[in-house]
Amino acid sequence: MRKVILVCCIIVLLIPVSVQAQDESPWSEVFDETGAVRPDVNDLGVTTDNPDWMSIDLPFGQSLDLEANYHTYHTANGSTVVMPSATTLFFMAMNPTESGLSDSLGMMSNGNGSMISFLGSVAGSNIDWNAVSSDHPEYSNPDQFWNAVLTGQQDVWTYFSGWNFITLLTSVSWDDAALRTALLLYQADDPNCAVLPNGCPVQVVVTPEPVETSPRCPDPKVTVQPLTANIQKTGPANPLVIGQDPDKKRGADISVSVSVPPVIFTWYEPIYKEKEDCGYNANGVYVCKIKRVFKECRKHVENLPDPVASLQATASLDSASRAWITGQLGQTHYGAYIHKPTLSLVPGLAGWNGGCSGGGSCSASAHINRAPFADPGTFNLSLQGMTSGTSFMGARISDPRPIQATSSFQVYVTLPALIP
Amino acid sequence: MKEVPISKRSIVIIFLLVAVLAGGVFTLQRLIPTSTSGLVTPSPNDQMASAAATKAVEAFFTVDYQVGMDSWLNRLCDLTTDSGCQFISIGASPMWDRYLEEKTIVMAEASALQKVADKQSEQVWQVNVSLSAALPGSNKLLDTTYVVVSKTDTGWLFDRFLLQPEINALLVKQGKASQYGRNF
Repeated sequence: MRKVILVCCIIVLLIPVSVQAQDESPWSEVFDETGAVRPDVNDLGVTTDNPDWMSIDLPFGQSLDLEANYHTYHTANGSTVVMPSATTLFFMAMNPTESGLSDSLGMMSNGNGSMISFLGSVAGSNIDWNAVSSDHPEYSNPDQFWNAVLTGQQDVWTYFSGWNFITLLTSVSWDDAALRTALLLYQADDPNCAVLPNGCPVQVVVTPEPVETSPRCPDPKVTVQPLTANIQKTGPANPLVIGQDPDKKRGADISVSVSVPPVIFTWYEPIYKEKEDCGYNANGVYVCKIKRVFKECRKHVENLPDPVASLQATASLDSASRAWITGQLGQTHYGAYIHKPTLSLVPGLAGWNGGCSGGGSCSASAHINRAPFADPGTFNLSLQGMTSGTSFMGARISDPRPIQATSSFQVYVTLPALIP
Repeated sequence: MKEVPISKRSIVIIFLLVAVLAGGVFTLQRLIPTSTSGLVTPSPNDQMASAAATKAVEAFFTVDYQVGMDSWLNRLCDLTTDSGCQFISIGASPMWDRYLEEKTIVMAEASALQKVADKQSEQVWQVNVSLSAALPGSNKLLDTTYVVVSKTDTGWLFDRFLLQPEINALLVKQGKASQYGRNF
């Protein structure tokens, strides 16, 4: 992919590169005579650095040390080609000497042309051109102004008329056309290699070595908070068996609710820092070894939702009430019998609704209105269910949990009696 | 009706006095800085912009090493533009390394001192900051900063701290502005 980006650069600037190749341009170690990238150019990927010229001074002696990012390529002759990120390139342009920009061989074949295009693209609309032409009538066009900025002859800060474009540079991608033309070449024999974006060009680059220190992060921790479940009669206060209540077939209302707090999963991520160790080897070759050094354990706390997966609610006449109907009541009211001792409330008479909030808390509820209780006595209400369990990034964190709740209520009957 | 005789000389003197008086008032208006500018009630727009600046500055300098950089960034990024959040994110690690090393716990209070630039959707505010304790590498408890706030769809948000060359340029512009009566 990275080579594809580089090839795109070549296509964009094919003609000038070919001309340069004929003149034995230094770029000939990057591109062949057809303008294609040479097969011996090595893609080193993206490297980062915290250079002083990208440090923003803040009050109280603090500083925001912006990270410089470079997509780096290495030629067989030991030269380095870098494609900085937009933010990096902007700060390089604002600090051409300190950043080593003025020591590079420029952008491809057209000197500062691509850098001027880049600056015009990202900052051109934030320059007070009226003030520029008023103070500096010697600049007949913006390119001359930018060229003076890049050579350190012109202060640009006085003429910025907007500010937030600098932070917006962070959203410019590597594939942006303005960036793709901004390749910088630093040759191996550059005497000022210390100021170059990645330090001195290297003859041999050793692939990252194994981690210097093994991570010492704590084990992950799972905290399962108890869930709450409830099933109860909500009305009327004293339900009668259906048929006897003034409002025919009123029955009773039952309410079900479940609340499941999030499962808290705490885990630690080992963070590594790349450390460059450079020096000359026994053969006199400058060698850089990149080591990944353990830096810290970054703590992450995840609130994982454990949604309700199933719910069933039933009502059942207790055995004492059954015995009373067929025994005591049957003696005084001939033919008394048990009509419907069990009722399936959920899902029989109503369905349930559930869901989870963004914070990981889940809930479920059901409301059974006018459930037709036909027998007098004590009904036991029972709620049974399961949660789904939790997972994180495809790994199971906690198992499904049972949901249970019980309660009871009375259903009344009015009995006629003959008074002598 | 009684006639009051006024000589031609007196009329000329009166005209001269009026002219000198008018000229004096005009000159004073030009020379003396507008001392009432600080008494003008800020517009609602300015109030929201300055509130965005002070809240974000307070969040930036309020540090508790125990909560860590991620929580600090999350709290801060609620008060910043998306790009401002990204900008801080790519530069905060070295600063937080020091906070963790020094076990830094600091509370900050900020107050907007003045608006120093206004471009409709962007403003620059000078903000005073006071700390409950010194930050690593400094013994100061009071300082001043310049911040950019941007008007977004969700209101005014902090964008970034001004760079030192920008501050210098603004101060130069301000000097010219007060000298020539220009408005920035």
